[in-house]
Amino acid sequence: MTAMLLSEDQRDCLQEIANVAMGQAADRLARLFDAFVVLSIPQVGILTPSDIAMTLESLRDQSSQNEPLTGVAQGFIGDGVAGEALLLFNGTRYQDLAELLKYDYHPNLNRELLMDTSNVLGGACLHGLARQLDTHLSLGPPHLLDPSDDIDRLLTQRDLDWNSAAVVEINYTIEHYRINCDLLLVISENCIAGLLEKLDYLID
Amino acid sequence: MPDRELNSLLKDVHWLMDILQNIDVGLVVMDRDYNISLWNQFMQNHSGKFPEGVLERNIFELFPDLPQDWFRRKCEPVFLLQSATFTTWEQRPYLFHFPHYRPITGTARFMYQNCTILPLLDTQGNVSHICLIVYDVTDTAVNKRAQIEANQQLQALSRIDHLTQLYNRGYWEQNLHQEFLRFDRYEIPATLILFDIDHFKKVNDTHGHTVGDEVIRQVSQCLREQLRETDIAGRYGGEEFGVILTATTQEGGLDFAERLRRTVEQKAIQTDRQQIHVTISLGVCELAADIKTEQEWLQLADQGLYYCKEHGRNQSRCYP
Repeated sequence: MTAMLLSEDQRDCLQEIANVAMGQAADRLARLFDAFVVLSIPQVGILTPSDIAMTLESLRDQSSQNEPLTGVAQGFIGDGVAGEALLLFNGTRYQDLAELLKYDYHPNLNRELLMDTSNVLGGACLHGLARQLDTHLSLGPPHLLDPSDDIDRLLTQRDLDWNSAAVVEINYTIEHYRINCDLLLVISENCIAGLLEKLDYLID
Repeated sequence: MPDRELNSLLKDVHWLMDILQNIDVGLVVMDRDYNISLWNQFMQNHSGKFPEGVLERNIFELFPDLPQDWFRRKCEPVFLLQSATFTTWEQRPYLFHFPHYRPITGTARFMYQNCTILPLLDTQGNVSHICLIVYDVTDTAVNKRAQIEANQQLQALSRIDHLTQLYNRGYWEQNLHQEFLRFDRYEIPATLILFDIDHFKKVNDTHGHTVGDEVIRQVSQCLREQLRETDIAGRYGGEEFGVILTATTQEGGLDFAERLRRTVEQKAIQTDRQQIHVTISLGVCELAADIKTEQEWLQLADQGLYYCKEHGRNQSRCYP
């Protein structure tokens, strides 16, 4: 059933759009940071809530098994499409983030660094995506995940009003810094109508 | 344009302006050099500065207390990336220092603020201005803080033994477990002391439970005064106590035990009618590779304690 959410054409189109949008975003980021931003090719998948939980788990595994997820969640909405961007920072050194953002590092700064980075990264990507789709997305305030936000529990032990979601996953690294972020754009099936319409329009 | 259409357009603009003026968030529009070009009623009321005094003037000159570097960091990406940025009270409680104004239900000294900074595009699609939106989130912030505080108190309550102000048995045992695992991984020495008050039953029988409790409290206080930052002390049973001395060998442990024993021995415990003296017996055991479980570690320290009991009390004994 879940494979029905996006047709193959729609999936390819979304991947292509994401690719262009992220490329443009990376260019702007590079100018802002004065550093080279390396992006992976965006992966588009149709995932169930427990698939998403597993994806998050696998992102965490690479570095820090026992630590809670470090990241920021930000809602976006516009023109019949809505979703949530999750920006995860596992495998990032705060000192490197501080250097990139031109702060004098101090452990109390961690929250500031994560918020600034997600403002910039999340903002650039969603803005890029909106431009490619010729629409406007309103962004909600970013929410810093803290250990009490048990994402795994939110995804797997709750009665959600959706069973599958389109997920775009992109990995960012920044050359010469130990900064590694994964951006997941999650658009659940009940909020995807506007996106499908736009994709169909682009395919024709 | 026909008059009717023009009138209707003017009415729309008039309404929009009314809404911007009266909406209960702060709105400030600024140009590339941070000169103010819009200042709504909310900002006027909370800052006490009127539009005539702020328009076309630089925000940092008008508000010298603004965290200029911080605020610029949040604004520059908006100009460059054309996307909004956000700040929360958790990063910095406020941008503008606005005193809190509700005399009765106001619980904070100032207004906690979240901010959103939006890009405003000119006709060429460049960001010529930014719009700063200031939200009053005082109630949210105060509630969240109260919640965090309550959780911390609950956590402390669930860990602390009321009579002695030492860790209770459950939490102390968790620590013992952690320390045991840490030794397994890093082989940093750790020494355990188990001790109890000699002839405590007699104290209770002779002087009553209130005095018994006072004795436990005073002995705990001697212990607390001697603890280092890294030592972990708990009430293990009625008159029985456990201390985990981190990064401490058997020698250091015995030294700690003897010092505590002498302090307690010399302490005069004042009751209503008289002064009483008590002594303690202590078993000391340094963790070693051949100790396989934390239970075994406890048993070994307990055997040291048992030896003292058998051999006259008021002494310390290392075991094995």
